[in-house]
Amino acid sequence: MSEAFQPVLLKRCGKNTTVGIDAYLADGGYQGLKNALAKQPGEVTQTVIDSGLRGRGGAGFSTGTKWTFLPKGHPGPIYLCVNGDESEPGTFNNRVLIEEDPHQVLEGLVIAGYAIGASKSYFYLRYEYGRGYRALEKAIEEMYSRNLLGKNILGSGYSLDIHLHRGAGAYICGEETGLIESLEGKRAWPRIKPPFPAIEGAFRKPTIVNNIETLACVTHILDRGPDWFKTIGIPKDPNNPRDGGSYGPKLYCISGHVDKPGLVELPLGVTARELIDNYAGGVWKGRKAKAVVPGGISMGFLSAAELDTPLDFNGPGKVGCLGLGTAAVIVIDDQTSMVDVLYNTCRFFAHESCGQCTPCREGTAWSTKILKRIREGQGTMADLKTLDDISKTIGTMPGTTICGLADGAAWPIKNALQKFRPEFEEFIKSGRRSDLREVALAH
Amino acid sequence: MSVLSESIKQRIREHFDRYPSKQAVTLPALHMVQEELRCVPAGAIEEIAELLELSPAQVYDTMSFYGFFRDEDKPLGKRRVWICRSLPCMLRGGDELLAEVCDRLHISPGGNAKNDQVTIELAECLGACEMAPCMLIEDEVHPAIDADHVLQVAEGKS
Amino acid sequence: MGSVFIDDKEIDVDPKSNLIQAAREAGVEVPYYCWHHDLSVVASCRMCLVEVGEKKPDGSVAMLPRLVPACQTPAKPGTVVRTNTDKVKASREQTLEYLLLNHPLDCSICDQAGECYLQDYTYKFGRSHSRLNEPKVQRLDKYHIGEQIALFTDRCVMCTRCVRFTREISGTAELHVINRGSVEEIDVRPGHPCNNKLAGNVVDICPVGALCSKDFLYKKRVWWLKHADSVCTGCSTGCSIVVDQNEDKMYRIRPRENPQAQGSFMCDEGRFGWKHLQGEGRLTAPRAGRLAVAAATAVGSHAEGSSLSRSESRVLPQSDADFQDAWGGTSGGGILGEVRSAIASMAKQDGRRFVAIVSPFMTCEEAYLLCDYLRGLSKHITLAMGEVPIVGEDDLYPKGPRGESPTADNVKFTIRAEKCPNRLGVEAVLKRFQGEVIPFDVVLKSLASGAFDGAYYVGGYPPHEIPSGVVRAFEGLKLLIVQDLLQTPLSDLADYVLASASFAERQGTVINHKGLAQSYRVAVRPPGEARADGRILMELSGRKGLFHSPTILKEIATEIPALSKFGKEEVGTQGLMVMA
Repeated sequence: MSEAFQPVLLKRCGKNTTVGIDAYLADGGYQGLKNALAKQPGEVTQTVIDSGLRGRGGAGFSTGTKWTFLPKGHPGPIYLCVNGDESEPGTFNNRVLIEEDPHQVLEGLVIAGYAIGASKSYFYLRYEYGRGYRALEKAIEEMYSRNLLGKNILGSGYSLDIHLHRGAGAYICGEETGLIESLEGKRAWPRIKPPFPAIEGAFRKPTIVNNIETLACVTHILDRGPDWFKTIGIPKDPNNPRDGGSYGPKLYCISGHVDKPGLVELPLGVTARELIDNYAGGVWKGRKAKAVVPGGISMGFLSAAELDTPLDFNGPGKVGCLGLGTAAVIVIDDQTSMVDVLYNTCRFFAHESCGQCTPCREGTAWSTKILKRIREGQGTMADLKTLDDISKTIGTMPGTTICGLADGAAWPIKNALQKFRPEFEEFIKSGRRSDLREVALAH
Repeated sequence: MSVLSESIKQRIREHFDRYPSKQAVTLPALHMVQEELRCVPAGAIEEIAELLELSPAQVYDTMSFYGFFRDEDKPLGKRRVWICRSLPCMLRGGDELLAEVCDRLHISPGGNAKNDQVTIELAECLGACEMAPCMLIEDEVHPAIDADHVLQVAEGKS
Repeated sequence: MGSVFIDDKEIDVDPKSNLIQAAREAGVEVPYYCWHHDLSVVASCRMCLVEVGEKKPDGSVAMLPRLVPACQTPAKPGTVVRTNTDKVKASREQTLEYLLLNHPLDCSICDQAGECYLQDYTYKFGRSHSRLNEPKVQRLDKYHIGEQIALFTDRCVMCTRCVRFTREISGTAELHVINRGSVEEIDVRPGHPCNNKLAGNVVDICPVGALCSKDFLYKKRVWWLKHADSVCTGCSTGCSIVVDQNEDKMYRIRPRENPQAQGSFMCDEGRFGWKHLQGEGRLTAPRAGRLAVAAATAVGSHAEGSSLSRSESRVLPQSDADFQDAWGGTSGGGILGEVRSAIASMAKQDGRRFVAIVSPFMTCEEAYLLCDYLRGLSKHITLAMGEVPIVGEDDLYPKGPRGESPTADNVKFTIRAEKCPNRLGVEAVLKRFQGEVIPFDVVLKSLASGAFDGAYYVGGYPPHEIPSGVVRAFEGLKLLIVQDLLQTPLSDLADYVLASASFAERQGTVINHKGLAQSYRVAVRPPGEARADGRILMELSGRKGLFHSPTILKEIATEIPALSKFGKEEVGTQGLMVMA
């Protein structure tokens, strides 16, 4: 089935150019918006609910349902924030979308804005995406010139302005309330919830934060209907009443030890093995995979034995990972030390912990120090117990921190110690030093 | 004597009507200043605070959070090159590449080399994992083939 | 009110309170660092995590699988809170281990030791040892953080209370967090130290030894301090305070939470403005006879006096054996005896020629005793108000970004322009005995025009300049009695000086700007042979027994209708609204 799949989101991508407004319109672009504007906003939301679309940013919450959390009959303003802070290691799908086909995203943005009654949208984009920033800037200009933005869009009576807002290099801005704080000009310390952003978000007004790929999906749902969307992917698990299904196309980022790293679009539910072997040229240098990150490093690791896990919203969780995350698959070959890999993930989270909650601030830094020491041949078996306790108390025990960053920091530790424990024990016993070189820092 | 030119101040003010609060212009203002001055001097922080009706401490609080903006005692070189060391890049040599580039320039990450022509930074995931190991030159991502390549790019030779 | 269940104990609480407050009501301590009832809730220290659930109508309990911060969770009726489960205990242990990872083990030289929440919680909820095998992160101390404040950076637990205080209460926003993650620190901007008038509060709200008061630093281990409730006399806000002392030496003043008075904080003027009480200029013994030269233009009260010739004065003997003789007592003799007969003879001759100047630094009891005594001698004696010091305008907080005052409904703290504790109380007494309040400047004119032969002047003011014109007005008197704390040009001029006591050295009641009566308790003894004003006045007026504030207040309540509330309720630690 996946062989026959025709890309939807990447249809116009891959040519190393940016699709302009004329080409986009010529390809049937903005039909989804026209369809949306012909409906009542509530109907648009219902259409998105009916499609089963779940957010592509990592948490996988129903997009349409999220929109319904806004207070009814609010006098406004209501804000729509776009989460373009994509920073989860392994993830680059949103970058490709905005660099190559920005109108597809912006169309979904206007549809979402119309559905929720937003008068202003802040498109928060990580600073590193300069090319994407300029592509969006140009596309927004084009939209204003065609009355696809601004006052009375296409004569519908609906008005919307978009402001691009550039980040400054902080992973935590991808957490929606961290993003809001950053947008407001503060340090990006995630907010305590409740209140959730839908009730009190940016500038203390009701706010919806949506991911870039999610908005691109909205475009197609309004163009081709929710039923079409549901023909793609994995239906609801009839034995699990809480499952919302894994519908629609998904962008899978493949990186690490594969022959051809890249971005592929497939129906949700493809397995890690299929991705590696069929779409990425297999593991590089003829080696085997030792471990695979299923959806950005926050999600933990699949072992070599778990590569047939379907990468839908339920699959990774069934084998002890945190979830599907951003569907960014990172392949780790059998020549790589999991001690180095785990050190890398811990170092990442220590660097990116916002420093607000005690367990995350201290735990991420401590786990990094412990792994650094283990890498230097000075580890003890007791360190593994300490690491395990850290993973529990910063993340895997629910509620210990304000946001999910610490969960993401904890899961790789937990999975690595669960699934690769003998390797850690052997490494510690051997007293070896890691041969991976690390740069010396100034301080 | 004002640190910020009238034109920057004007551009900062032009951002006011985009947001319901002036504080929201903090990041745009810091970007504008650093793009022009290659750092954000203490005097600029005072002037931004004045414009945004904040205390200088509030501006610096935000500024220092990101690790992106430079104090005046550590201005950026002419070109800022970030080398990624997150997992997808590390697996393909990002750590070693960063170490080699720093060695050859005799600096630590964050340092300037070649008469301040270049600043080398370590980066966590730049979102270009298919190019791993990758680098960011100013605000655009590129593949970083090897240390020679990075050094050439850093000196503006390619 | 609604029922919540804390560790299976059912209590009624205000649903607006959080679970920390609810647990406190139930006698259960939930540890916390970042939460402070006057600051915004950030729920970031994660020390107060508890398990919560809900009691269903059928009596069953559904617990949430995750831990929740008690500070952030409202005490909704039916909430079930468990603070003693293994999960909660494990979480507290681990959070404490995290907080202590980079915290130096320097309790032995830390000022906070003994009143430190890291110590207390580690003892109650922590692990016995740290598993850290790596070197601790070292951070530089920041002695420059404020004129009165030092930051011991490596002791900080990043609760951010201090930052929130300067943003939300003082509005001055000098303090901020710099950097991110495990390398973040509290700091100030160069050239913008934390010197606002409320700055000292950040030391109090710092739950650990990070922010310390330079004034108190290394002066005394806190476990030697004894505490007395009192009231700040710096302005008419009348902040509730605690005086910390050891062996009759005051070491520091801290605000005492009182929602009826000022709330939780106090200003630095009050916090540090008591040093003159232990300084050089204190009058430490009564004196009879004028000093030879009056230093009419002396600034303040110190130094100059000591150069004066004392040839004509009779300084009282200093030894304990002579003590009673020097002051004299109710029975007569001594200085009090002389003062008593001098006033009596003047009152008998012509009461109209005698004036008493009643200080707004006197307590209600003292003002009452003095006025009642003098009125008993002659109904013609003038009873006038002492100078009511006004400095500038009321200083309102939080300040705006440009130092502007908040709008009336956003005021969180006020330093009042009226720099005395008891104008309202003294006025009530004067209205009863004099029928009106004669302001100081009016009585001063009468004095200058020779309307009086004798005066009883009460001071109690902090060091301040007494203008030469004021001193001159008193120069022509045949009899001047000065009851004061400090040596001043007026005390130099006096025929009798009655060395009195400060707020920390006496008991009594003052009424603040909005009619709240609060009481001083004795924290330290007066220096030398100085005496509490109440005792001086009891003996002068020939009253029997010791000065006892509640007894006098009862009497006041029957004599002064405006203060009748004193007869119905005790003043208590939180004060009593007597003039709503």
